[in-house]
Amino acid sequence: MDCVVTGGNVKVLAKAIHSLSRIGDELYVEPQEDGLALRSVNSSRSAYACFLFAPLFFSRYTIPIGLAFRCKMAIKSVQAVFRSIATLEKTVEKCHIELDEQKNLLTFTLHCKHGLVKTHNLSFQDSESLQAVFDKDSYSNVFRSHPRLLVDTVVHFPPSLEEVTVSVSDDRMWVKNHVEDETDRSKAMLTELCLASDEFDHFSVQVQNSVTFCLKELRGLLVFAESTGLPISMYFDEPGSPVVLSVTDSVLEGNFVLATLSDDSNLRKNNTKRACTPPPPPDDFMNDDMDSYLIAMDTSVMPGPSASRPPSPPLTNSTSLKQTAAAKHRTRLPSEEEEEEEEEAVNSSGPPNKKFCSLFFGSVLPPSSQMTTQPLTGQEVLASDSEDDVQ
Amino acid sequence: MKFRGKIIDVACLNHFTRVITTISKLTKMCVLRLTPLNLFFVLSGKVANGGVSMWCELSQENFFDEFQMEGVSPEDNEICLEVTPENLSRALKTVQNARAVKLKLTSKHCPCLTIAAELPTLSSASRLVTHDVPVEVIPRRLWHEFKEPGMPDFDVSIYLPPLKTMKNVIDRMKNLSNFLVVEANLSGQMNLKIDTDLVSVSTHFKDLGNPPWGAEGSQQGGPSPSRDPDAMARTRVDIRKLQQFLVGQQVNPSKAMCNIVHERVVHLILLHEDVSLQYFIPAVA
Amino acid sequence: MPLSTQSQGDAEQYVLVASLDNARNLSNILKAITFKDHAIFSATPNGLKVTVEDSKCLQANAFIQSEIFQEYTIKEDSVGFQVNLTVLLDCLNIFGGSTAPGVSTALRMCYKGYGYPLTLFLEEGGVVTVCKINTEEPEEPVDFEFCSTNVTNKVILQSESLKEAFSELDMTSEVLQITMSPSQPYFRLSTFGNSGNAHYDYPKDSDMMELFKCTKTQTNRYKMSLLKPSTKALALSCKVSVRTDSRGFLSLQYLVRNDDGQICFVEYYCCPDEEVAED
Repeated sequence: MDCVVTGGNVKVLAKAIHSLSRIGDELYVEPQEDGLALRSVNSSRSAYACFLFAPLFFSRYTIPIGLAFRCKMAIKSVQAVFRSIATLEKTVEKCHIELDEQKNLLTFTLHCKHGLVKTHNLSFQDSESLQAVFDKDSYSNVFRSHPRLLVDTVVHFPPSLEEVTVSVSDDRMWVKNHVEDETDRSKAMLTELCLASDEFDHFSVQVQNSVTFCLKELRGLLVFAESTGLPISMYFDEPGSPVVLSVTDSVLEGNFVLATLSDDSNLRKNNTKRACTPPPPPDDFMNDDMDSYLIAMDTSVMPGPSASRPPSPPLTNSTSLKQTAAAKHRTRLPSEEEEEEEEEAVNSSGPPNKKFCSLFFGSVLPPSSQMTTQPLTGQEVLASDSEDDVQ
Repeated sequence: MKFRGKIIDVACLNHFTRVITTISKLTKMCVLRLTPLNLFFVLSGKVANGGVSMWCELSQENFFDEFQMEGVSPEDNEICLEVTPENLSRALKTVQNARAVKLKLTSKHCPCLTIAAELPTLSSASRLVTHDVPVEVIPRRLWHEFKEPGMPDFDVSIYLPPLKTMKNVIDRMKNLSNFLVVEANLSGQMNLKIDTDLVSVSTHFKDLGNPPWGAEGSQQGGPSPSRDPDAMARTRVDIRKLQQFLVGQQVNPSKAMCNIVHERVVHLILLHEDVSLQYFIPAVA
Repeated sequence: MPLSTQSQGDAEQYVLVASLDNARNLSNILKAITFKDHAIFSATPNGLKVTVEDSKCLQANAFIQSEIFQEYTIKEDSVGFQVNLTVLLDCLNIFGGSTAPGVSTALRMCYKGYGYPLTLFLEEGGVVTVCKINTEEPEEPVDFEFCSTNVTNKVILQSESLKEAFSELDMTSEVLQITMSPSQPYFRLSTFGNSGNAHYDYPKDSDMMELFKCTKTQTNRYKMSLLKPSTKALALSCKVSVRTDSRGFLSLQYLVRNDDGQICFVEYYCCPDEEVAED
């Protein structure tokens, strides 16, 4: 492979690599006839991202004919090539990418201002093909918006937040933080944002439901989309089947495929119910009845602070959530957590709960030795990257 | 027990957010007392707080366009909540451009202070955001722990120098030492001192002025009239506590004072129009 | 007690008194050599030299000529002492070291002699801070015997172009290799990290290159950990001179312009990495 990127496209390429670095530790490079594919997957294989840069993106793009080649390398080392991303536009005039298969070297040469030439020779490993199976046309819920809308949405959530739940009705989208642990719920701050359909360029809902996925990867894509100003499309179906976020223009396409939490039936009914309930008209916001916020207790008779809270008031939401938690503990058996290859539609008899389906690569990964080292089956948490360890 | 308030004015919202942010820099948890006229943020000087106590008082009508509350009972018309100011601050910061922000006590998954805001959009509908900040309701029998602290019987009272200058000095001193001696006299002089094996540093402020506590006559505390104006009252404190106090200050208050009870406590008072903040730092040996 | 009213009687006991209207003119240049706590001060009538060393392989010197000071009085041919540099910098910046125009900290630095602390009087906006920093007997700095007559290769670059390279250095590389040559690649910085190697080539006719005087191709390696602190000096400087001598020793000289437009120098000496034979 021998290709050249010039001008503003150098920054686009750099941003794509930075964006991919939010997904996984390795960059999979595959020069294809239809362009250069850069991919990444997280360690639990529950998040996958791919950028395809068409030949027209480059001012030169040549690949050996009829010879499939793929490799992977530490994404950090590629990121290092484009380290000064803020000044990239001003300093780099041309980026030359060359693959030397004999020496196992991928060379990035940056021709910069004042004649400075930076050459990075990166070693790589051969790799299998990495591809997620998804068909954007088959999704029932499709949305498109300027990245600004999503940037303004995620800003309401703390950087430490792992997952968000997106629910939709015919004309609204709710985004709220997902709290994994029932016991944390009493301490966690819950945030919910409601977006009207006309804030989107495209808003089409066939199935009113909600999905929960990781925020980190979405933030990664936003970095790219915001700098390029490209609209983001979002596709999703059932809880448990992946959500797809994508950006496209005439010379590039980026797709982020993120596993969603497989819902249990109770919770889903709830969400569906809520999503179906006609949302209050915006005017009502200013006139809500104070009595409905009564906390039914007189603290003076309570024996102590720990017991100062009466049983939860009979709000259907919280009650059913508690039951759900109890039911979950009863039904969760170790055997159910193994060998869950393809996540079926959730059945009502109680499948394993709180579980991200990280398995949409199963069909394309060869059963090589690598498989055994990958924690492919029965992940309980989406995107459990190394970052999880510190928590 | 009900509470509901609404802020429409952007400047009020901004000011309110700054006050909460200031408090969030001072303490992880504190008690919010709501009364028909005031909001109080209270930290009582327990050992767990390093003995520091705080009392911040806001007059509700200076911030809220609507403010309705019903306390526990007509005779105890108050609501007392344990809150995490950091959460409130974070929620408020994301709604700075809101058309209106409502603050209400709600019963969600647990008792919450709900911050609901209507954000402007380019489209016809507005964007609604709600933050449910969990709170603990404090039973009435514990309320006595969160009463306004009495004015200590101080030896010296003095106006503080510009807080920015003080912060710069204390930030550096913090690099050099864990403890700091604050001393002041009735001639408008205040010194900040550290002393370690490597270095001794003393910063001298003068002409600060001493607040006229005696003239009002009503305070039980206040320096003795016979006190030598040049005699220093001093207290050695944990430098981090003082630093914390200064880090949070986002605006220069209209009045900033410091009372020192010799070798006992440093009592800091900030007045900013409608907000007053008192902070007590105990002496360390 | 503002600085101006310090009793003149006091001054007589001091062997060294140096005053600055703007303490940043001293603190900035000291920042450029802060990588170890111990700093050796040696004052002569020409000015002040401050030396910091690391494991006999790296030495940094900052020179502040006597003219930089508004007052500079020395009673002996040379006065030497050693202080903790981090502490000194905290003291010099006690008022925050503001860069705002019109705000500056005045400094009066006094030393009475062996066994006495280094005393700083700092004043900003009428507030006075007095610092007494304990001193120790100075150690003898290492003599790197870097002599300009033995210089093999020398280039002078505008610092701007090196700043970029140093900020991007692959820190997984144990060494920084410097190649200087009268022919291609002229001036090259190379790293050898975990995931590959990188070369930064500066052509001799680059408009960043102010002087190019290389007589012989030389490739030397220097420990990355030793050279990394020099980035601080680079950041403050406007020009840098890179020289190597016949033994492969490296000299980096930085020209630093202070707030008042005066010029000071910082220099770093570094031994080549022993493991690699020279070409």
